[in-house]
Amino acid sequence: MILRLGGGLEFLCQLDVSDGKILLASLGLVWPQAVTSCTISFFLYFFLSFSEASQRQLEVSRSFADLRSRVKAESLVFSLTDSALFIWPNKSFQASLDDVDESTACGELLQYHLFLFFPPITCSSQPVVNLRFMMEITEPTEPSAPCLYRENKKHHCIRMVLPMDCVVTVRSDETFGSALSTQLSEMEAVTLRHMKDTDVPVPRPFHFSLPTSTELVTIVYPASVDDKGLESFRKELHNRFELPDDRPYFRRSNAFHFPDEPYKDGYLRNPHNHLNHPNIEGAKPYLVQGVYSYHHYMQDRMDDNGWGCAYRSLQTICSWFRQQGYMERTVPTHKEIQQALVDVGDKPAAFVGSRQWIGSIEVQAVLSHLLGVTSKILFVSQGSELPSQGRELANHFLTEGTPVMIGGGVLAHTILGVAWSETSGQIRFLILDPHYTGGEDLQTITDKGWCGWKGPEFWDQNAYYNLCLPQRPKAI
Amino acid sequence: MGRTYVADDTVQKYLSSLHTAGGVCITGLLIGQLSLQRDYVLLSTKTPHRDSDGPGEGHSSSGLLDDADLEWATEHAKQVSQMLPGGMSVLGVFLIVPPELSKEAPSTLRRLVFAIEKHISKGRLWDLTEEDITERVTLQICSKTKKALCRSFDIKDPKSSAKPADWKYQPVSSSSWPLVTCTVALDLQISLPLKSLDDICIKEGLRSWANRIKAAVCLINGKLVADESELVPGQKKNPKMGKQKFQVQVLLQTLEDMGSSAVTQCCRSFISIRGAVHCRAYLQPNKPRAKHAVEAIRKDLMNTVSCRVNMLMEDLLMNEFNDQGVMTGVQPLPHRVFVALPASDFRLCDYVFPDESIADVAERLHEMLDSRVTEESIDSSLEPTHAKTPMSSRTADPIQHSRASKQHIEAPKDIKKSNMQQYYTGLLLAAGIAFLAMAASLIFITRLQ
Repeated sequence: MILRLGGGLEFLCQLDVSDGKILLASLGLVWPQAVTSCTISFFLYFFLSFSEASQRQLEVSRSFADLRSRVKAESLVFSLTDSALFIWPNKSFQASLDDVDESTACGELLQYHLFLFFPPITCSSQPVVNLRFMMEITEPTEPSAPCLYRENKKHHCIRMVLPMDCVVTVRSDETFGSALSTQLSEMEAVTLRHMKDTDVPVPRPFHFSLPTSTELVTIVYPASVDDKGLESFRKELHNRFELPDDRPYFRRSNAFHFPDEPYKDGYLRNPHNHLNHPNIEGAKPYLVQGVYSYHHYMQDRMDDNGWGCAYRSLQTICSWFRQQGYMERTVPTHKEIQQALVDVGDKPAAFVGSRQWIGSIEVQAVLSHLLGVTSKILFVSQGSELPSQGRELANHFLTEGTPVMIGGGVLAHTILGVAWSETSGQIRFLILDPHYTGGEDLQTITDKGWCGWKGPEFWDQNAYYNLCLPQRPKAI
Repeated sequence: MGRTYVADDTVQKYLSSLHTAGGVCITGLLIGQLSLQRDYVLLSTKTPHRDSDGPGEGHSSSGLLDDADLEWATEHAKQVSQMLPGGMSVLGVFLIVPPELSKEAPSTLRRLVFAIEKHISKGRLWDLTEEDITERVTLQICSKTKKALCRSFDIKDPKSSAKPADWKYQPVSSSSWPLVTCTVALDLQISLPLKSLDDICIKEGLRSWANRIKAAVCLINGKLVADESELVPGQKKNPKMGKQKFQVQVLLQTLEDMGSSAVTQCCRSFISIRGAVHCRAYLQPNKPRAKHAVEAIRKDLMNTVSCRVNMLMEDLLMNEFNDQGVMTGVQPLPHRVFVALPASDFRLCDYVFPDESIADVAERLHEMLDSRVTEESIDSSLEPTHAKTPMSSRTADPIQHSRASKQHIEAPKDIKKSNMQQYYTGLLLAAGIAFLAMAASLIFITRLQ
């Protein structure tokens, strides 16, 4: 079970404005020997700037230390979201409900979660218990008389809200109190590393699920620096966690998606996860790796019924690249896809806004132009020959793991995986059908086979098919 | 259907004790609690004499109250409203008129009640909402016949007309009124940007603190209670039962995300308000609900803080005016003391500056509330006083006035050693280079000469 603690902590820091630089300017004027005074001013300027920068870092560190002592204070309160349960972790686990105390198993906490608005989490992954922290301002331990303190000194005031987000897996001994404190230290390190003068980026934590560790790993990134600027940092992380450096694990889009957070864009993710594997002797499933969104007819208020299937398949592929962190821009619309083809010279300018079909070659061209992704093209002269490509497809899903676009006859589809037996050659194809015109209803999509396992008879046995197999770029 | 005002017997006694000397009116305030079904008038007090230039309490020919009298009455109302704990407020005004002036009485009362409400709500950190009762009472008493005429006005609507209201006398037992208390630790940080006005910034800072208080979660006796649930469920009015007491805990919610970069402002000054304040509210005895308790204590908290800060600011402004320079350093905020009026269990409060004494409080109470209290009955123990927490001990407090003892604070132990090392090596290097440059320049000078 995952316990997640979140909340915004106010960070306030006063940086003194030094008048040293003004002093220098006047120094330069006072001394008659221009050269020497300039030299001295030059060096003193650097000295003062340097010490100014160090002074600022000291101030920032002091403010973080202040916050660390605050989260260790008795006034820290945890509240279980949507419940009447409040816990004081630093006050020997005083709780607002009578039957909860330090020995209460964390699993029991789930029962206090009011299920009025959120249905119980039914997916296969672990349940998530969300806690938010609050500060109690009543019952102070050392009350002092109320006073007003004022200082008239010119200074820079830096104010930001630190988005705390700690995850603790219940097995570990680490308590929440120290988790908050540790995260504050990490935030301090990131802030000091990336602050320039008085420009301070907000440190934001992200959680990553890595193949080399069972627990979620939390990394703090400065919010105003984009993924490109953090590449060297990611290299260090790949080294630290002993991960291969040909595929990204630490981009912001790779962040772990908590099962209780709905996706804001409304598209379904990985509908194939809700299907059962086909029961074939000796066949192993080779599936797409990672997360994609299901794009199909009539979405985004775009009526492409009858002509847009390849576009939708391409959108599904783009969504995969975006969610694996290879692409930062949004999934392209039909017009943007058409414009890309015009830009590479493949289509005339009149193509944009038309209802013309595209095929695998066009998909390859767009992926190359918009995403910088290369793709392999497979060709079968007859649909009946597709099962013979079993090994090729299985290999593709094993090494690249990207969704495959297949076009032929008059239809385009997306292949998300194969169940293939090396010995018997029997094969089933996991197909995502872009011809679906309904709403984002998972039940309908899986029941009616819009996402489902199909046999070799699914294909038009006489038509020729082109397959576009996108290759993962080697990048972190 | 008009409102019902239930006034305590002591109010009747007081009103009948006020005598007017021919041709003169007496104005005053009615204090109590507003509630949905009926309003309780617990206390009344007349407007104190103004040291006017004119003869006695002479009134101008332009109505019963001239502008100066009106201003005096509204200022009195504001002072009194600051002395009231949560749940209690100035409900309205009374006017004792001789029969020959009774024709102008209604319009005077109307003017008075609207002006008082306007003056009291200035500088308040909270606004009246849909849930609040906006009717205020006016009581017109004929000095000869002692007949009382009660009307109410809706102060939210400036064009509202008088509505008839019921006025009756009934003994109100103060012991059956539940009491809600809490002690709140304040921690406000206000930065004053360059080119800004002091009072606007402070008001802004107080407002944003008040917004957090309004959004805070309040626990009653350690538990989260639903808004509409009754605090004392199924209880019949049992006078034998001791006074119901409720302790409130205020939990501040965390802040919302602010974006990708910190906000940096160049500021000229910095204000920090810290310390513990005691808040107290009374709830009406007829089935009080949790939301009333929470609202009452919230309002009391916001009122006590804004009132104290404003009082201190005015005091300091006067000092600055008297050429004592702009204030810096630690300034104690006024201390809150509580006193029970005679023949009542309700405790009112007052604010004491460090250079004032308990005798001053007693005198003020006499002037404002026309009531004599003994110095022993004034309770100043509910809040920590400045004498108990001397300056030196406060530096030992880990969460302290951050700049007060800046010179005494050591750099936090968590500072990475490399930072300090870098700092000192840089220092030495730059000093060395500067020295060399100076030496070179001196040699240059001597060579030239």
